[in-house]
This record gives sequence, structure tokens and C-alpha cells, in this order.
Amino acid sequence: MGKQYRLIYDENLCIGCQACSVACRVENSVPDEVYRLQVHLHTKGEFPNLGMNFERLSCVMCENPPCVSVCPTNASFQSKDGLVHIDERACIACKYCILACPYHARFINPLKNVVEKCNFCYETRVSKELLPACVSICPTDALSFGDMRHKHSLVHQKSHKEVLVFPKAHLGTKPKVAFIPNRKGMKS
Amino acid sequence: MAYFQARRDFLKLATKSATATVLIPGSLGALGEVALRGEDKFVRSICEMCSSRCPMEARVINGKTVLLQGNAFAKEMGTSLCAKGVAGSSQLYDSQRLVSPLIRVGKRGENRWREASFEEALNLVSTKLSALKERYGARSVIFSSKTGEHYDLLRSFASAFGSPNVFSHWSSCPIAIESAFHHTFGEKLHRDFENATYILNFGHNLFEGLDISLTKAMAHFCANPSKKLVVLDPRFSIIAAKADEWHSIKPGSDLAFVLALLHVWIRDGKFDHTFVEQYTIGFDALVDAVKETTPQWQQTRTGIDASVVERIAAELYAATPRCIIDWGHKATTTQAEFQRSRAILIANILMGNVEKEGGIYLTKSAKRVNALAKESIVPELNDPFPRLQINEPRIDGAGEEGAYCFVSKQHGVLTAIPEAILSQKPYEIKGWFLTRHNPLITVADPQKMKEAMEQLEFIVVNDIYLSDTAMMADVILPECTYLERDEGISTLTCKVPTYAMRNKIVAPLHENKSAIEIIRALAERMGYGSHYAWKNSSELRAFQAKGNAELLQTLLLRGVASFDVPFFCARESSLVERFCERYPKSRAWVDAQGCFGHLLTHLKTPSGKIEIYCDAVEKIFKGYGVPRSVDMDVSQGLPYVLTSGKSAVHTNGHTQNVPYLSRLLSSNPIWMHPSTAKAHGLKMGDTFYLQNAIAKEKATVFITEGIRPDTLFAYMGFGRDAPSLARTHGKGTNVSKFLSLASAPICGAMITNVGVNIIKA
Repeated sequence: MGKQYRLIYDENLCIGCQACSVACRVENSVPDEVYRLQVHLHTKGEFPNLGMNFERLSCVMCENPPCVSVCPTNASFQSKDGLVHIDERACIACKYCILACPYHARFINPLKNVVEKCNFCYETRVSKELLPACVSICPTDALSFGDMRHKHSLVHQKSHKEVLVFPKAHLGTKPKVAFIPNRKGMKS
Repeated sequence: MAYFQARRDFLKLATKSATATVLIPGSLGALGEVALRGEDKFVRSICEMCSSRCPMEARVINGKTVLLQGNAFAKEMGTSLCAKGVAGSSQLYDSQRLVSPLIRVGKRGENRWREASFEEALNLVSTKLSALKERYGARSVIFSSKTGEHYDLLRSFASAFGSPNVFSHWSSCPIAIESAFHHTFGEKLHRDFENATYILNFGHNLFEGLDISLTKAMAHFCANPSKKLVVLDPRFSIIAAKADEWHSIKPGSDLAFVLALLHVWIRDGKFDHTFVEQYTIGFDALVDAVKETTPQWQQTRTGIDASVVERIAAELYAATPRCIIDWGHKATTTQAEFQRSRAILIANILMGNVEKEGGIYLTKSAKRVNALAKESIVPELNDPFPRLQINEPRIDGAGEEGAYCFVSKQHGVLTAIPEAILSQKPYEIKGWFLTRHNPLITVADPQKMKEAMEQLEFIVVNDIYLSDTAMMADVILPECTYLERDEGISTLTCKVPTYAMRNKIVAPLHENKSAIEIIRALAERMGYGSHYAWKNSSELRAFQAKGNAELLQTLLLRGVASFDVPFFCARESSLVERFCERYPKSRAWVDAQGCFGHLLTHLKTPSGKIEIYCDAVEKIFKGYGVPRSVDMDVSQGLPYVLTSGKSAVHTNGHTQNVPYLSRLLSSNPIWMHPSTAKAHGLKMGDTFYLQNAIAKEKATVFITEGIRPDTLFAYMGFGRDAPSLARTHGKGTNVSKFLSLASAPICGAMITNVGVNIIKA
């Protein structure tokens, strides 16, 4: 059985500082003006009754990935570990996957003219037993990453201690990225 | 432009130097060469993208730095680093960086240059400085620097040169809190956020002005439902958003809130009587000073309901001693900044949290720990930067009789410089040597500062970018970035003795030199070579470490060194006992309560105790001996108060042009409440003018619910006039242009809240 990766984003710990976004850019040579990962901050409410929401925007590594099923060339594929990758050599930049992705996680790399997205830093880090760059760098430990099969792993422990929210779960995509919702945020 | 290298050339250079990069400084006698081998090389060093100096680690592949992250050998860091820190490599390879010394060919400030070799540039600087000294005396040259090793170097050099006029950036930043600590404790204390349960925060925004270990501790504090954070800030900052309670206090009125807290605690007798009695002097004077500062009294000043003060006072008292009244770094500064800072420290003292877990604590320096243990458990360092006593008056009068008698001669009052130059009083100033200091962005009234700089005969600037201040220079010496240079050992001690060292990660691009090399080369040329016990960074380190090869090796390989000394609070008997078990001779210090109480009765204050009342201050500044209600106005009769602060992706005036960071935040539109915008007919993104008696500047508006209607806010460091900073040139507003050169009494702090009008464009 393959690995069961999970990445947990704790909105309570995130301060929106963008360190993860810059680390991702450096690690993956992400070109100017495009992002594999961003954190958006939204101030809600009316002065002085305000709240701030933190939203992490990136690939959520679906177990049922719509981007893979629409790909005409099999450039988008799922590995045995359940991670969704893109084979740049096979990508014809048809953008079907960009439209199919409910998380708006994919974009065209303007330098290579192929589709690109977060890959959990698989080649450069995770395959070498290192954490993804964003997880490693986070100043406030808001991100945790690991294999759910290991009971002692931080992700396993957090998954049992906290209430996790899987983004757009109703679509049946079964993301590997989960959120711990902000207790001090603002609904509406 | 000729002095900008094409990006491709930079990368080529970086690759070419690959073989040299991983050879960490060779000639450390006892060590020989330490080479890191393997496919990926890891070099541990210290970040310099801001002044927090976080320990970091670089992964180097083929001589090009790949990813910078926190240095996990510093356990409170882990692998964490902020956006600025990670973007360090983007600064390193920035095509807009200076890579050659420049000599002015046009008029001063005209931005016309010719490239020169370091040899020529250094010769010119040494000749000119020597000539100024000859003709007008050494005191005619000002030396200013950012803090850190640059400052230590420059201060030492200035003393060899013979000038008393040394300035750090302190008076434009933390000088008020430093001064308050000096007068209260005789030294600076730290906050134990990890173990606190209740924190009252006055705009200390650790989530936008990051210091990784403190930021991390604060983030975990905020995320813990069993703890409570209360934030007072006119703006809904990120830390306000993470708080359990946010109160949008009127700018400048923090002092009123704290005085009301003190009033309530004293009125109800709810404070640590034993602590106050045993360790402090001057409590009676405080009782008298806060008699009238009731919660009702503060309500009109702060805009916060009296009942809130009553409740917070009770909650803090209930949480003692694990509560912290957090002073911040530089918050809502007013004329009252010294009193505000002192009042906050005294609030901590009344809560009896000093040297308690979850409270505030003295630095556990090598010297202090060794003295307690009565044995040498931590190596102590030599000071490699000798300072000669200069018996000349300073131009700002710092440390001398007069308004700035309590300002340290080591730091000075930056805002006093323009007037001194323009009036030639107390004497003529002819030259200025700035290293990594950009007063035209970071100090009040740059218009006047520029006018003054135009009067000078010779200005030399050491920087990595052609900044607004560098544009005024005769000679610009391009420094290498922190990733390209070795430095001496620096002290990171808070809870336990810790040293760190900046280690070169890649060889300098082009021919850039480090400040150590620049200053040392100038000293040699000017005949001050014998001032130093070292010739280069390797010798400097060896001298500093007193030849301790083990320490140096640890610092070379790990970037940090700590010594397994257990943390203790002098007033936590169980922690004192743990320390004594490890170091039995320290039992001699233990008092009847099982504490190291003597640490708090032998402070460097005149009485040796904690001084709630400062006699020396009262004698010269009547009414300032204890915190009182004074000087809180920041609007000067104008309808709005302009405030400023940091963002998580920029540092003061330093990073706005760094490619990756410029991309994240490239301008500073002014925060404005919707009702204020509506009253002035402004829509999101509209251009308007800000105006006060000092300046009228264009700005754009960012409309947000997250600010008081009577307050405006801008991220600092924008509005750059230097065309060479192509990414940031002409974007945003330089808020320093509205600030007055008048500084806060006693401490000499620049005042960063100011009244303005909104004028429609």
C-alpha cells in the first residue's frame, strides 16, 4: 500500500506572512506573476466588530482528481502514493485541467508553456524524506505534513485531536489537504 | 546603466565562484580549512533581511544558494524563516544591486556617477576624511550606522579617527524603551511568552514585524484557547485579528490606559505588595502620580470604556505572575514615549512578574551565569572593537548637560543632525560616513536632512543598493550581502547564553567587500591599523573567541552555540534549585526564599534596586521621575493622525526593491475608514494629498473597516526617490516626510504619529 500523505493547515496559527509563498517560489523556481501557493487574508465585519480570515490557496491533492480525468494526453497523472503530478513532456497546454480544477490551483508556466501546480515538493524534498518547503519554512508551525499510516506522525495526531475541514468536500474530490478552521475568524 | 550587471552575468559569476563558496574561512589557525562536502551543502549563518538576526541555514547546490530556512540547531527557530529571510537569495542575485564602487561626477544628489575600483574608492575616502580631520578636526565628521556588527565596527573606527559624533538607528526606533529599561532596571529584560497565560499588548505587532522565536511563541499563545491576548491598536493589525479582544485605542493614548490600570491596582490594593517592598524604590511617588488617572479619566483620552480598564486590571491581577504587559518595539510614539514605556514597565513590576515564569526576565548572559555558578561554564568573548574615549562635545549634546543629557553618547539623536549642520552649532560639520543607514527614508523630515547633506563637503555611503541616501554621496562603497560575508561572533542570549556567527554562503559576486574589509582597509590607509588586534574576519573571530577552537568550530558548522545551561528565573525556587544541582557552588547565592534575589537588588540602577521613581530624571525633568499624564497629543490640532508600521514582507527602508518582496507588496496606499473616505469623496485607489505644516504629498487610498475613522495608516519604507531602485521608485508615500524633527523628552525618540489633513487631488 502506498503512502497516505496529508497536509494540515491550521488557520489559527497562520499569520498570513507569505513566507510559504516565497519559499515555494524559490524551491520550485516559480516564475514572476504566477503562484503555486498563496495565503489570502480577508477582513470581515464592520468597525470595530471585525474578524480576519486566512485562506490557503494551492493544489489540495485530490484522491479523485478532476484534472487527471480530463487530461487528453495523460500528462496529469496520479502516482502510487496518490499524489497528482504533471508530466511536462506530455502536457500540450490545452488548459482542460485548469478549467476542471475546482480549487483554481493550476496555471500556465509562461516560461515553459506547460501547466504547473503544487506537487508537495515531491522531487526535490518529499522523496528525500524532507518536508515540503512551505511546511519547513512556516514561522508559526501552521503547516504539518506526513504519512497518516504512522500513528506517531503529527498529521495523524492532529487529525484525531482537531476538527478537520476538507475544502469543497461536497464535490467528492477527497483532498489530502485539510484545514483547522479559525476560531477567531468572522463568518459572513 | 553601466553599473548594473545583467542578471545572466550575475548567475554566471555565482556559478564560477562555486568552488570557493563552500570553503568556510580558511585560516583559523587551530582549525585549518573546514569544507562541507556532498551534493547539497548546508551552511549555517545569521539572517540580515531585518534586524532580528535569526539563525538560518542555506542549502547550496553548485555554489548557488537554493533555499534559506531557519537553523534548527537554534531550537526555538526550528526550520522556520519569514518571507524576507527566504527572499535573501533574490536580493543576492538582484540585477539592481550595486556591484562596483561609484564616484560622484555630477552635482550632489544628481545621481551621475563613474565606476571606480575599490582601490581608488578607498584611497579617495581615506584622503578626504584625513583632509577633513586636518582642516576642521575629527569632530567635523559624523558616523552613522544600522545596529549590529556594522555599528560596532563604525563606532570603533570613529573613535580611532577621533570623532565623538557616532549615531545608531536607535533614536529612530527603540530608544524610548531602551531608555525606560535603563532608568528602571539598569538593563533590558525579555518576555517569557511561552509560559504566560495573559498578555496585554500595545501594538507590539509580532505578526508583521517578525522575530521568528518571539513570533512563533506568540502564534502558539494566540492559538491556545486557554490563554488570553488583549491588543490595543488604532488599526486592526494581524495581531489584533489573532487577539481575544481588540480595542481601537486613540493613537498616542497608551499612557492614559496604563496610568488607569496602575490607578485601579493601587486603589484596590491589588498588586504584589511583597515584591514592590522587597525589590523596588519610589512606590509612594507613583501612588501620588496616579491618584487622578481613573478609568473614567482615561475614557475621554483613549476612547476605551472605563469598565474595560476595570475588567482588564482584574483579569491581569488574577493571572499574576504569569501575565505580561507587552511594551513592543516601537509603537504609538508620542512626546510621552518615555513615560509610556516606563508606565508599561511599572505595570509589570506591580504584577510581580519579574524573574517569574511567564513574566519578564533578565538576560542570562555568559557573565551572569558564570558569576552565579562561580565557575566558567560558558566562554566569554573578547571585544574586538576597541573604543577610545573622545573628550569632545557631540553635535547633538547627547550625554552632556542639556535636553539630551540622558541619551546615550553611543547612540545619539538623529533628528538633531540637520539643525546642527545647517546652523554650524555647536561647531562645523563637514563630512558624514553612513554604513547601511538610510536616514532619508527612515528619519523624520528628510527634506531638511537633504538640505543639510547638501552643505557637506564629503559623504561616503556603504550600502548594497543605490538608496535615496546613497544618492547624496560622493563615494558609494558597495557592500556584499550577508550571504557573501563572514562576520564575528554575535550574542543572541535571552534565556540561556547563546552565540551565533555569520558564515559566508557564497563568494562575493563581482568585487563587493564586507564592512569588515572596508573599515579595516580604511583604517590601514589612514594610519589606524594598530587600533585593531586583527587584520581580517578570521583573525577577528579567533581574537573574539580567545582562541577557543571548539567554540569556533561549533559556530562554523552549526551557526549557533549554546551550552546546555538550564534556564532559571531568579524568583522561581524550583528552577533555582535545578541550577544549583548542576552548579553546586551557586548555592552560596540562594536566599531564604530559595531564590537568587540578589540579582534584583544589585542592578545597575543608582539604588541597585528596581526604580519606580528615578531621582536623577526628576531632578532635571521635573514631573518625569514617575509616570504621569503628559504630552499625549499627536494630532497637533489637525483632524487625522497618520500612523505607520511594518508589514511582514518588508523591513524599514531596506527591502522594498528586493524582487520577490517587491512583488508581494510594491506600494503603501493609505489605510482609511470608509466613513472618512466618504466624507472626502474618495473611492478605493483614488489619489489625494496628505498635508501638514511640514509636507504635502500625494498618496492613494486603501479603504478598510480595519482602522479608526480619525486615524490613517501606512506601511513604512515606500515613496522612494532613487531611480536606481527601479521596482519601487516613485511608488507610494514616504511617511517620514510628515514627521517633525522635534523628539520626545529625555529619550530623544523620533515621534512617528503625526497630525495631517486630507486634501482632495
